Amino acid sequence: MQVEKFYYDNKIVRNFAYATIIWGAVGMLIGVWVALLMVFPSWNVSNITVGSESLGLSFGRLRPLHTNAVIFAFVGNGIFMGVYYSLQRLLKTRMASDLLSKIHFWGWQLIIVAAAVTLPLGITTSKEYAELEWPIDLAITLIWVVFGWNMFWTIMKRRERHLYVAIWFYIATFVTVAVLHIVNSLAIPVSAFKSYSIYAGVQDALVQWWYGHNAVAFFLTTPYLGLMYYFMPKAANRPVYSYRLSIIHFWALIFLYIWAGPHHLLYTALPNWAQTLGIIFSFTLIFPSWGGMINGLLTLRGAWDKVREDVILKFMVVAVTAYGMSTFEGPMLSLKNVNAISHFTDWTIAHVHVGGLGWNGMLTFGILYWLIPRIFRTELYSKKLANIHFWIGTLGIIFYAVPMYWAGFKQSLMWKEFTEAGQLKYQFLETVTQLQPFFALRAVGGTLFFIGSLIMVYNLFATAKKGNLLADEAAEAPALEGAYHQHAGEHWHRQIERKPIPFLVLTLIVILIGGIVEMVPTFMIKSNIPTISSVKPYTPLELQGRDIYLREGCYTCHSQMVRPFRSETARYGEYSKAGEFVYDHPFQWGSKRSGPDLAREGTGNNKKTDSWHYNHFDDPQAVSTGTIMPSYSFMLDRDLDTASTAGKIRAMQKLGVPYPEGYDLQANGELSAQAREIAANLKKDGIETAPHKEVIAVIAYMQRLGKDISQSQTAQK
Amino acid sequence: MLKFIRNHADKIENIDIFPLIGLVIFVVFFILMLIHVKKMPHKELSELSHLPLDLQEPNQPLNL
Repeated sequence: MQVEKFYYDNKIVRNFAYATIIWGAVGMLIGVWVALLMVFPSWNVSNITVGSESLGLSFGRLRPLHTNAVIFAFVGNGIFMGVYYSLQRLLKTRMASDLLSKIHFWGWQLIIVAAAVTLPLGITTSKEYAELEWPIDLAITLIWVVFGWNMFWTIMKRRERHLYVAIWFYIATFVTVAVLHIVNSLAIPVSAFKSYSIYAGVQDALVQWWYGHNAVAFFLTTPYLGLMYYFMPKAANRPVYSYRLSIIHFWALIFLYIWAGPHHLLYTALPNWAQTLGIIFSFTLIFPSWGGMINGLLTLRGAWDKVREDVILKFMVVAVTAYGMSTFEGPMLSLKNVNAISHFTDWTIAHVHVGGLGWNGMLTFGILYWLIPRIFRTELYSKKLANIHFWIGTLGIIFYAVPMYWAGFKQSLMWKEFTEAGQLKYQFLETVTQLQPFFALRAVGGTLFFIGSLIMVYNLFATAKKGNLLADEAAEAPALEGAYHQHAGEHWHRQIERKPIPFLVLTLIVILIGGIVEMVPTFMIKSNIPTISSVKPYTPLELQGRDIYLREGCYTCHSQMVRPFRSETARYGEYSKAGEFVYDHPFQWGSKRSGPDLAREGTGNNKKTDSWHYNHFDDPQAVSTGTIMPSYSFMLDRDLDTASTAGKIRAMQKLGVPYPEGYDLQANGELSAQAREIAANLKKDGIETAPHKEVIAVIAYMQRLGKDISQSQTAQK
Repeated sequence: MLKFIRNHADKIENIDIFPLIGLVIFVVFFILMLIHVKKMPHKELSELSHLPLDLQEPNQPLNL
């Protein structure tokens, strides 16, 4: 058998590693900043004008920047770093194309830069973790294909016949993220930087949370499990505990994960059967998840003494333990009785950060400390600093999570508390102002974690400086023989492990089952979304106001979904129905209430005057003492962009919103008339303003919320 | 858009059975998986699990 000589490409691994380190620090810094904005709301800056655009450094625009930065920039680059290192070694070959590797690297960094520019400018779809607008979505698709192409090409020219379990996870990640990204991003462009989701209301919510949950599953979990299955055995210098368990773990996990999305929508207007599906599969997920965790931890069997001395193993043990904790908590949060407490509160924030900081953060750090000295042919600059990083990071997680769990419980219980006379005990605002100390502690925890990562930045760059990058690492392996003769009684899974394309197809089938079973009936069956005759399309002014609501990221703090609980109907009014949202492209149900629900803002006890809204947008603290809402005073001065109205109406018509034919041409006339009406109302309360200001459109939208449903009730009476 | 698939049927009878069907599919899949995995010979499994470790690594683990 002839032995071939080849070289591993370490340069691409170094590039992705540097990107991981740098973007990680940036993403965490923005996280600390948005945490501080909840303690010091006056630090929100929302009125910097750049050309015709307003640059917003307020919570609503920065929170998506934080989530996108840590998910796609920090973890994304971390995935690629680990994949490019391990794939070459597991397959005993160099990456198939250096050019594709370079296009992948630079393309991904450009996408991150595009996100960092567009999100603060308010260019957003408002769909969580999928906020980037359609041109960037197209670029993501393209670069993702480049990644997959390079990976499969490498698999094709491999010198190791069997694909190790880590590679299955990489394949599943590639195929599922492609499906999720394309399906959730389908939209009709209105302009270069604005589009409307083709789905509306309930359907949009289902697609979004199918995506949202599986972004967690297939971007933050499966690729990292692949990395765990490669780097943990390497770091511990012993094989994975059970290969059998890894096969079960893999297939059960990818089969189940894809069904779990509806647990983000419990007690909402999503049809009950879909909610039940989500609960069952989310609960079942505990088994494969814990299978993976056990497999990871038991890989250290007989090597636990090393954990005391080896800082890399310390990071990895905390990572896998955090994975176990958050994958125990996830199924529990999917139970309706627990979700009734946790949903819309900081409990969810605590949960995702145990996963994000603990699992993704600590595993990335462990891998970086293992990998950088190796590719730079030297020892780590300072073991002591790495240990300090470990402890400060672990403390950071605790300081982050504990106050958030406390805050989540506290707020939820306050929302639900009634007096003996049957009145709600607390105003919404009180349930936020009482959380301030917890928000402050959370910022301390985040800062500790951030400082830890800065220590790592210094330590790793000092390590790189001390060593020399081995850009092309020599290796030798025999070439694969042409035909493989399977031996008698060979296991079918072993055959699959040799065949990447059938493996990919099988993975695709497994992940499509759940999505199809949940989505097709929601789209096809009318009774799932009963229509309400009084629900009408938005007026042009309301539509423009709604787009400003989206632009400012109001959904990051306000929900528009009244759940059928006494505590919610007493506070907000009639609970939300599926038929109310049929013209909502995209839906705005939200996922967190740092501010009150707005689904009934324009009706019943919640209705405020136009002047209240005007003053509240100008200076929220002057109207509601103690509120943490940022000021949107710039909307009082900024002119509404009416040039876009006709295009928006036409896009909505294409999506099936029943505006009459030719309405696009009259829309601005009606818009002006409604705006003048609101301006006249304001004048009565002593507020002089021109009708073409942005604030007028947002007021129109606020006053519309819940109005249709209250009209339907009046008609019934 | 999407009109072609939207609201094709007025209602669906017994949709509550969906979760049950889903669960049955999974349990069957899971049990088949268990049986197959159980049947795998130990030697093969050990070989496969050593894949990351059997590679030529000129740079041995550093005593970190």
